[in-house]
Amino acid sequence: MIPDLTAAWGAPRVAAIEFPFGRPLGQPHDVVTQRAVLRATLGALRDIGSPGAVVHLPFEWPEPPDRVHWHPKEPSPIVQLLGRDPSSFTRLVEGGLPPEASRRE
Amino acid sequence: MRSLPRHVDSFKYLNPASTTITKALIRKAPRVPVPWAPLRWPLHEATVSLVSTAGISVKDDPPFDAEGERRNPWWGDPSYRVIPRTATEAGISVSHLHIETAYIYDDLDVALPLRRLVELEAEGLIGRSAPSHYSFMGYLLDPTEFLDVSVPAIIEQMRRESVDLAVFVPV
Repeated sequence: MIPDLTAAWGAPRVAAIEFPFGRPLGQPHDVVTQRAVLRATLGALRDIGSPGAVVHLPFEWPEPPDRVHWHPKEPSPIVQLLGRDPSSFTRLVEGGLPPEASRRE
Repeated sequence: MRSLPRHVDSFKYLNPASTTITKALIRKAPRVPVPWAPLRWPLHEATVSLVSTAGISVKDDPPFDAEGERRNPWWGDPSYRVIPRTATEAGISVSHLHIETAYIYDDLDVALPLRRLVELEAEGLIGRSAPSHYSFMGYLLDPTEFLDVSVPAIIEQMRRESVDLAVFVPV
């Protein structure tokens, strides 16, 4: 989904696909595409021979990007926080997580 | 669905703010050797287990703590759930607050392709689908507890079930 991120953080083998968030295997009930994606993924994982290699799977999502709906109906809590408090954005980008990132409240 | 040669664009579905945050996360990645374990058996003899980041739980188990994340947007539930190979959308909850989950409730295989994996087992492409598969919450800004507690437990169960290949399926 974000293969640059997955590879950067050390996944041994990466099968990259350009499908929208939430549906990495394809559309609901599209059994043919789901099976083809899983088959291609397993084939890539079998064939990759060096640590960190990325195989780009040759699938194209059938909708144009501006027609794709993947966001939740209610913005996620961190997106709502970023809207209320723009300094949170700087914090996320610069990597200084607050202590509450590590504790259940 | 058409198949074309391509180079996958990691940022195609992200808005500019999310792209900036994601690129910062990429820059922060530690420069360490990538782990590597060769496949011990050919794929058609291998036991395969899936790991989804979608925050899926079966209905006999407690769902992931989405209310905790609503109270504290910096925090994500670091626990994990076991999903049996026979699970379907009829018996699950999805607690991920960062994606539209309706597609998964409609068809679990869009994110956790358990039925497709069993089909590939019947076809002989893989040896077998493991008895257990796994899910956790992909939104974890601080993954320390997940890495220290959940991951070792998942690895232990995979070893008990002789898993050869773990397929991590991000959403």
